[in-house]
Amino acid sequence: MTEEHFKEIVDKLVRLKDTSELMIDLAYSSLLLNSQSLAEEVEELENYVDNLHTDFELLVLSSGFTPKESKDFLGLIRLGVVTEKIADAAMEIADVVLRGLEPHPVLRLVIEEAEETVTKVAVSETSTLVGKTIREAQLQEETGMWILAIRRGNWWFRPRPDTLIKAGDVLIASGYAEGEADLETLASGENKLTEEDY
Amino acid sequence: MAESEKIDYEPISVREALTEMKDVSEIMIDLAYSAALFNSHELAEEVLELEKRVDYLAYIIDMNIMLAARDAEDAKNLTAVTTVAAATNKISDAAADIASIVLNEIGIHPIVRKVFEQVEERLARTIVKPDSILVNKRLDDLELAAKIGVDIIAIRRQQKWLINPSEKERVVEGDVLIVRGAPHGVDELKDVAEGKIKELE
Repeated sequence: MTEEHFKEIVDKLVRLKDTSELMIDLAYSSLLLNSQSLAEEVEELENYVDNLHTDFELLVLSSGFTPKESKDFLGLIRLGVVTEKIADAAMEIADVVLRGLEPHPVLRLVIEEAEETVTKVAVSETSTLVGKTIREAQLQEETGMWILAIRRGNWWFRPRPDTLIKAGDVLIASGYAEGEADLETLASGENKLTEEDY
Repeated sequence: MAESEKIDYEPISVREALTEMKDVSEIMIDLAYSAALFNSHELAEEVLELEKRVDYLAYIIDMNIMLAARDAEDAKNLTAVTTVAAATNKISDAAADIASIVLNEIGIHPIVRKVFEQVEERLARTIVKPDSILVNKRLDDLELAAKIGVDIIAIRRQQKWLINPSEKERVVEGDVLIVRGAPHGVDELKDVAEGKIKELE
């Protein structure tokens, strides 16, 4: 197995694991907010995971392993199956919203006891966030919200500190409700007042 | 094959039971990946213990929901709850699948460790020995998070689970502690629980 092949397997498994966990957060959030659009995001991620999982399995199977190594690779295949199963469970939760079943009040209470709010904002061209990295944007310090995911075109990913924010990005953020408006202001670029202006 | 626990109807708060189920399933996922990373049979066994608890809760939640429906409208509204409970149960099943990979010695390719290399946190299980200084102390008095950067995320006391235990909870001899934190802090807590260290620094 080449170094490159090895890296690709690791990368895909990390993505599968991260995306499946993100889907759970988003799915519960879609219930809490009774948000069709968040539930749709989960559905899109589910398709993404399906494709990624197939790619992952093909990569593992084409590793050219010896019969002796086959057990180790079976473990990898099964881990992939688990992430897929978690993604399916998240999809089932989001499906409640997609089918227009009113989330029972009990569900909101359950999620509120465990989690903070989730919100989705689009980054406009005039936003001060454009061209900054996640680290530079200091969103957590400024708004108390942290970014769960960024959608760029049809591409979904979980940001890293050095990820650059671009105009047109859709940010999915989690945090306390008070930070939501601040984040929206920052992303929309409509209000560029700094503290000195007050 | 272990014998399955018999289930009897028990009136419960669906809200509390489902909250517990959600919390437990999330802990199980973390524990299961840790078990895979460290090839730890003891963590994998705890995942299966938690799985029993989730299965039990799933049955009890279903029974209570069935009784709560009085008409078609109720049934429709409560379907959302059963669906979410079933999905949460599925997440815990997925965690149990990871535990089974470890326990059945199928093995995880060393490549998987790479996946977790960035993770600075560790999860571990430790059992409180009679001569440990933890015995009979309240969690808030121990100040584990402040002193050694470790959180107790669950306690198993015989057959009972305390998930995200209250700060007022007292540690009892024989408690199985599931802890999360920086590697050296976790090691220190293990030594304290086993009575090898008599002081928390």
